[in-house]
Amino acid sequence: MSLSFLFRTFTREAAKVSHLQHVQSIHTGCQLLAAEKALLMKLRKSTGYTFINCKKALEKFDNDIAQAETWLHEQAQKEGWSKANKLEGRKAKEGLIGLFVGDKAAVMVEVNCETDFVARNEKFQQLVKDVVFAALAHHKNKTQSQEGYVKSILATDDLSKLSVGNGASLADHVALTIGRLGENMSVRRAVMVGIPAEWCIGSYVHGSVPGQTDVVMGRYGALVVFQGGKNEEREALGRKLGQHIVGEAPVSLGNMDDLPCGESETRLLPQTFMGDPSRTVAQFLRGQEARVLDFVRFHCGENVSEEAD
Amino acid sequence: MAALVGLRACFSAFQLTSPSLLHSSFKLCAVPLSRRTFAAEAKKTYSRDKPHVNIGTIGHVDHGKTTLTAAITKVLADAGGARYKKYEDIDNAPEEKARGITINASHVEYTTANRHYAHTDCPGHADYVKNMITGTAQMDGCILVVAATDGQMPQTREHLLLAKQIGVEHVVVFINKADAVDDKEMLELVEIEIRELLTEFGYDGENTPVVTGSALCALENREPELGMNAVLKLLEIVDSYVPLPKRELDKPFLLPIESVYSIPGRGTVVTGTMERGIIKKGDDCEFVGHNRSSKTVVTGIEMFHKSLDRAEAGDNLGALVRGLKREDVKRGMVMCKPGSIKPHQKVQAQVYVLSKEEGGRHKPFVTNFMPVMFSLTWDMACRVALPADKEMVMPGEDTSLTLTLRQPMVLEKGQRFTLRDGNKTIGTGLVTDILTMTDDDAHKWG
Repeated sequence: MSLSFLFRTFTREAAKVSHLQHVQSIHTGCQLLAAEKALLMKLRKSTGYTFINCKKALEKFDNDIAQAETWLHEQAQKEGWSKANKLEGRKAKEGLIGLFVGDKAAVMVEVNCETDFVARNEKFQQLVKDVVFAALAHHKNKTQSQEGYVKSILATDDLSKLSVGNGASLADHVALTIGRLGENMSVRRAVMVGIPAEWCIGSYVHGSVPGQTDVVMGRYGALVVFQGGKNEEREALGRKLGQHIVGEAPVSLGNMDDLPCGESETRLLPQTFMGDPSRTVAQFLRGQEARVLDFVRFHCGENVSEEAD
Repeated sequence: MAALVGLRACFSAFQLTSPSLLHSSFKLCAVPLSRRTFAAEAKKTYSRDKPHVNIGTIGHVDHGKTTLTAAITKVLADAGGARYKKYEDIDNAPEEKARGITINASHVEYTTANRHYAHTDCPGHADYVKNMITGTAQMDGCILVVAATDGQMPQTREHLLLAKQIGVEHVVVFINKADAVDDKEMLELVEIEIRELLTEFGYDGENTPVVTGSALCALENREPELGMNAVLKLLEIVDSYVPLPKRELDKPFLLPIESVYSIPGRGTVVTGTMERGIIKKGDDCEFVGHNRSSKTVVTGIEMFHKSLDRAEAGDNLGALVRGLKREDVKRGMVMCKPGSIKPHQKVQAQVYVLSKEEGGRHKPFVTNFMPVMFSLTWDMACRVALPADKEMVMPGEDTSLTLTLRQPMVLEKGQRFTLRDGNKTIGTGLVTDILTMTDDDAHKWG
C-alpha cells in the first residue's frame, strides 16, 4: 500500500515539474514590462483602488496614468453601487456617532458599518464627517427663516437624499465608501438642533476617536439644550450634563420637582448626578441656576424602537 | 494505515519545503523512510500529546478567512488530523460565554504532523481584546488573510494594529483567491505591498512568510498547486514559524496558598493548587505576600494523603515546610521559587468592564472608584485611575487602567484578575505593566 502511494506521489511530482516549466515559458512570453509594473504600483498607491481594477485601467488606456485615474474614479462609483447592492442586508451594527456643535446649531449622526476595524479607519471617519456636514447644510437651508427652537430628526431614507458638497447624493457617497472598504454601511439617523440666541448647547462624546478635531466621533454621544449657568462655565456645564446623560442613559426629562425613585430612575432631572453623587441633577442645576430644556442621546448600534420618528 | 498516514504527512511536508523539486527526488525516498518510524510513533499515541498552539485568523470580512479554515480542516482531514468542517458548519462567530463575558468567536481544532492547533476567528476588534483579557484563546501567532484580487484593504492597517495591541509577535500571510488572478506579477505586487505594511507596523516584513494560494480550490479539489498544496505549505510554515509557547511546567514553581494547617508533631502544611512549575521534596521555597516574606525548605509533599516526591502544575497538594509557624503564612500568600516573583502595589492593566447583560454594573465609573481586586487566592481593595484621555468607563468597554492596591500583593506581568464591587463582578483584566509607587499614591491610602 505504501509502495503504491509512493508511486502516486512520484507521478504527481513529475506532473508538477512539467507544470512549473510550462508556466515559466508562458511567463517569458508575456511578461509585464518593468515600467508597467512600476506604474501599476504607483497607481495603486495613489488611488488605493484594487490591483485588478488598476491593472484594467492601465490596459485600457495604454498606460496613461492620468486617464486611468479618472476612469477609476468613474468606475468606483459604479462598483460601489453594485457592491452596496450585494452587501445590502448584511448586519451593520458597529460604527460611529459623529457630533458637531456650531453657532447656535448642532448635529449628531450615526453611521453604521459591519466591524469595528472599519470604524477605526480614517476613510470611514471621513464619511461620518461628510454626513455631519451634509445634515448641517440641510438644517441651515431649512431653518433660515425660522426663529426659536428647532429640532428635526432624519432617518436613513431622508438622509440618503441629501447632497454632499460636490452635488452628489449622500447615498452615492456611501456607496463609494462601501466600494472602498468592502463592508456594508448605512447612515442610520441624524438629529439637528437649532436654538434661539440666549440658549446653549452642551455635548459629550464617549470613546472618542483621536485625531478628529472639528467633528467629534465616538460610540456614545449626547446633546443637551439648556439655559442659564454662569457665563464662563457654560461649556464645562454642558459637558458635565452630556457626560451624565451618556452614563446614566435617561429616557425622559422629568420635572424639577420630581422625587427620585431609586437606582432605576429613567427621568433625567431626579437622577443622581454623576459628577456629584450627593445631589440629583435638578439640585445640581438649581445650584448652577440653569435649566435643561431638552436632550438627545445616541448609542451606536442600539435598538431604536421608533426608528422613523 | 496509521503508518501510512504519518508517512504521507511528513512526506508532503518535506516535499513542500524543497523548492527545487527535481534533484530532491532521490532524497525523497530516503528521508521519509527514515522518518517513517518517528511519524508513525507520534501517530500511535493520543493526539493531545502533541504540543498545543493557539492561532487565529485576521483579515477583511470577504477575503476568505472562514473558507481558509474550512480548507485547512479538509486538507488535514485527508491526512487524519482533523474533522472536515464545511464552510456552513463553521459558525461565523457564535456567542461564547467565558467567565460570564460574551465573546464572539469561532473555534476550530486540528492537528498537523507536529502540533495540535486551536484556531480562533473573531469578527471585531473588541472581541479579540476580550479574548486576550480573559485568556480564552490567547493567540501565539496569527494568519493574516489577504485576497489577491483586492490586495490589502484600508482597514488592514487596523488589523495589524490589533495584532500588535494583543501581543501577537508572529504573523504569517496567506494571499488568498490566487486562482482569480491570472497574472503572477500581480501576486508579487500584492506580496510586496503587504510586506511594506508589515514593516511599517514593526513586524519583520522582509522575512515574514507569505503563502499564495486559494482556499476555494482546496475545498473544491481543483488546481492542487494553489489549493491543497498551498494550504499544506501554510500549515508547514505555521508549524515552523510560530514558536511553541513556554510550557507551564518549565517555569519556576508557584503555589498560591489556599489554607494553612499546623499538624502536631510534624509542622506547618500549606495547601493549594500548583499554578505552574514543578516542585520536589527538599526544594528551597519562599513565601511572599501580605507584607511578609520568609524563606524555607519543602520537606514533604502530599496529595490525597499519599506522599509524593514531585508535584507539578495543576496538582492539588499539601506541602510540609520546615520551621515555619502557622501564623507566619496565610491565605493569599504564595509559595514560590525564591526570588521568582515579587509583591507589587501599583500596576497598569488592560481591563474589560462587563456590560449590564453580562451581569456587570449598569453605570459607568470614574477615577478613584474603589473595587476589590481578586487574583490567585488573594483579594485586596484597589483604587482605579483612568488613562489621561478618558473621563469615564462605560460598561461593555475595554480600557487600560492604573490600579493601586492598598497593600502590595503578588502580581506580575501577564497575571489575570477580577474586579468586584459589592456583590457584582464588574470586570476582568490582565496586568500589562508593573509601576512604582509614588509618595502621592501612598498618601492617598492614608
